Amino acid sequence: MKKRILSISLVLAMMTALLAGCGSKSATWKVTCPWAPSGVAAMVSQKAAAKSADYSKDITLVAEAIKGDAATVNTWVMDTKANDTELVFVGEGLLSITSILDPAKLQFGYEDFAYVENLYSSVFVLSADAKLNIQSVADLEAYAQGGSEISVAVNGAVGSEAFLAAALFGSMGAGGKLKLTPYQSAAEAAQAVAKGETNFAVSHQSQILETFQQGGVTIVCAFDQDDIDAGPFAGVEGVGKHGYPFFRNRCFIMARAGTDADKVAALKDLYGKILADAEVAEWLQDTMLLEVDTMSQEDVEAHIENVQNIVNEYKDIVAG
Amino acid sequence: MKQLIDRVDARLDAWGEALKGREFRFPSDLTAGIVFALAGIVMLLALPGQVTVTGGDVVDGRAFPTLLMGVMLAGCAALIGKELVKLARKQPIAWKTVNLLVEVKALVILAILLVTYLLCKYTGLFVIGAVFCALGFLVFFRCRKWSYYAITLALAAGIWCAFRFGLGVRF
Amino acid sequence: MLEFIGPASRLLFTLENILWINIGVFIGSVFAAIPGLTVILCVILFLPFTYQMTAIPGMMFLLGIYCAGGYGGSVSAILINTPGTPHAAATMLDGHPLSKQGRTKAALKIALYASTFGGMFSALMLLFLGPQVARVAAQLGTAEYFMVCLFGLTIIAGVSGRSMVKGIISACVGLLISCIGADPMTGYDRLTFGVGRLYLGLDLAVCLIGLFALVEILAKAELKPDALHLDAKKMEDSGVITKEEYKRMARPVLLSSLIGSLVGIIPGTGASEASWFSYNTAKNMSKHPEEFGHGSVEGIAAAESANNAVTGATLIPLLTLGIPGDGTVAIMLSALMINGLNPGLSLFTTDGDIMYAIMLGLILVNLFMLFQGKFLTRLFAKVVSIPQEILTPVIVIFCFAGAYSVNKNYFDVAVALVFAVAAWVLRKLDMPAVPILLGMVLGNMTETNFRRALLISNGSPAIFFSSVYCIIFLVLIVVAVGTIVRGKLNERKAAQAAGKEL
Repeated sequence: MKKRILSISLVLAMMTALLAGCGSKSATWKVTCPWAPSGVAAMVSQKAAAKSADYSKDITLVAEAIKGDAATVNTWVMDTKANDTELVFVGEGLLSITSILDPAKLQFGYEDFAYVENLYSSVFVLSADAKLNIQSVADLEAYAQGGSEISVAVNGAVGSEAFLAAALFGSMGAGGKLKLTPYQSAAEAAQAVAKGETNFAVSHQSQILETFQQGGVTIVCAFDQDDIDAGPFAGVEGVGKHGYPFFRNRCFIMARAGTDADKVAALKDLYGKILADAEVAEWLQDTMLLEVDTMSQEDVEAHIENVQNIVNEYKDIVAG
Repeated sequence: MKQLIDRVDARLDAWGEALKGREFRFPSDLTAGIVFALAGIVMLLALPGQVTVTGGDVVDGRAFPTLLMGVMLAGCAALIGKELVKLARKQPIAWKTVNLLVEVKALVILAILLVTYLLCKYTGLFVIGAVFCALGFLVFFRCRKWSYYAITLALAAGIWCAFRFGLGVRF
Repeated sequence: MLEFIGPASRLLFTLENILWINIGVFIGSVFAAIPGLTVILCVILFLPFTYQMTAIPGMMFLLGIYCAGGYGGSVSAILINTPGTPHAAATMLDGHPLSKQGRTKAALKIALYASTFGGMFSALMLLFLGPQVARVAAQLGTAEYFMVCLFGLTIIAGVSGRSMVKGIISACVGLLISCIGADPMTGYDRLTFGVGRLYLGLDLAVCLIGLFALVEILAKAELKPDALHLDAKKMEDSGVITKEEYKRMARPVLLSSLIGSLVGIIPGTGASEASWFSYNTAKNMSKHPEEFGHGSVEGIAAAESANNAVTGATLIPLLTLGIPGDGTVAIMLSALMINGLNPGLSLFTTDGDIMYAIMLGLILVNLFMLFQGKFLTRLFAKVVSIPQEILTPVIVIFCFAGAYSVNKNYFDVAVALVFAVAAWVLRKLDMPAVPILLGMVLGNMTETNFRRALLISNGSPAIFFSSVYCIIFLVLIVVAVGTIVRGKLNERKAAQAAGKEL
């Protein structure tokens, strides 16, 4: 009996070792999202992964979210080498903000990545307490010229939202009156303005939608060149046309630097097909209130530079 | 083989007997007060270097940790003070007895845990550490039932399989 | 509402949904019973499965995991003195002592029944009062959240053991640990001592593994050789809960379900806070407070009904306002959004049948949790009869695998080991470990809300007295502190009387 148990155990151990050997298929690309599993990027990544099988027989995308921002990307860069079947997301938060405000936190640079594609673009909006009755950029300019303090709820102390608020009010000449109140999630920040804790909030469109529909807030402007042209916020003015600085929130899919160009091209092609899928595009636009916005390497570099310029100009307002 | 194991067991028993009687006592509350007071002071000294503050904050990032260390130091002072008063009044204070054999055994367990961790980390294969851990504890408990070895090793491999292939945790 | 019940029932009562509920309940119960494998981790790992499903089966599966996870954490807390999840820590205080008295099955059954009651209570609250309650909860702001935390800190007195001063010192350590990582208000690193990974802070589940699970492994050093053999008393466990015990549990279960539901509605708080609040309240209101910490049935029932009452309540702000009540529910939000559903009150008119199917489904989940739990209890109870030689390494392997899985990094395993050694030293100094956990649970929320409230008010403390909710919490804090002082005075009198008698 004992011998039998021993033999079964040995067979089990051998099978386990065999399984371990055949565990990794070369065509399976793991996509690491370094932000919350419940966040926008993680959700879109999961959707793309679910669609990958429809558009490629050679590449399967597996989405994974490991919260940690810079720390997760540091680990990713340390643990991967060229041609590893690993992808990671980085955005302007890491490449343009943290790299200027807290460079010691990053153990990587843009040169450590091979750009694949931009997963989505998000146009942030500025919402205001409904009691203030601020409906447009003109109303906002008038409010900013007044003597009152301008309190803005943002997600995180030094995130994209904080810099968008600083750039807008700073360029209106009201940077000195601006008080940024950081919250620990975008949903919390969006709610703060409806509760009256702050006068304004900067958030993704989807995160303020419910509060807007219940009449708690007005949507003042969008952080984009032109007005929003579709969705529940259609017609909201873009700050760009009034000459104010802005940037879109983007999510760049990156492979490890040195990965073969044909592999990167195949991945870009796959993501292109997924993002062109009618169901995905409709879902992004209608549910997530995001835009499909495929970009070239040059576009990405221009985006990073634009955000870096904004950060350099307004970092004193945000970081004190 | 059996003789060798018996000999090792006998040697371990002898060491165990020698250590068993060795005990030492220390005033637990007084020691706790001093240890945590020292830790609190070190932390207070380290705070300026560990917490960056900007001038414009209403309540800066150092305020809460400083408040906590203040409360902790006050607690330590109360603990030490109470014990010293008891000593002065010749009242009994709190003592803790530590048995050397227990502490040595705990160190052996800690060594098993540490080696397990190092094996997992540096081989990159969790299952190797898991197998070592299973063997380590069976030997620690001086288990002589071979069926227990088979069951535990199979469980170690099985747990790794469940995580690796069932839950997709790559380790 | 009534017009949606019919169509919602038709959507809900399908074989597919029932199957997914049961799979979810089973996975949640087993997963949460393993130290280190938290409910949130389980939901993250199984979330991708739901992307191939439609909204209702996907949500039913995740709700199954979520609710059963609330109960599953108590299993290891009772069996091996190690909470499977952070919210089961309060259950451990009485669950394990009751198990050591040879009443493992009874302890597991109490946890199951209380969990089911709490879960059903909050599911009904969600169904009938969801939108109304959400509107009230939406009025609670930063200052009110801080008052909730302050009230939570009064629990330290109840879990300090012999010396309250030692409890306060331990709690300070826990609160300080919660400061490690990026400063929530400025983004700068705090207390990281140059260690890059500490920027993320320390994960509660990882610290829990070290503080309670691995230290129990180190404590095997104290085992006498004969303790390795099976305890005959444990094998004879009948699992009977007496009528008297049911009577004693009724009030704490009802009150804790209410507390759990109220705590769950407040975004940012969760099952851990609810179970501690309820445990403390039950102890303060009990006719037998001296039994708490020594196997009190009321203690187990209070903690378990509260942490499961959170499950339905956290869905209230999610489904009505689109605000997730806790981290796990935030992940469930993506299961809805991936199916094109953006939660909020407007969804009750556009997709009312789906919303009510989810709410009715929660009741069903709790019923299946009870049915499966009755079967699993018998199985779980057998763990105590597993020989130490086998059980010990298995627990360690689970702990290491669980700690690794949290962030897919061995750094967390090292953190768990450091906490184990620290907990061992604390034991030698007779310092209680539970207040450390409590400090870690409440620390971040306390500090962030305190600082943010003062930022909003430009430094004026008047903000903490500015609303009726703040005043209510203030009264509760005063009552709690009064109860603590009275209790300590009574203890001292009793000790003096005992001294005189001797």
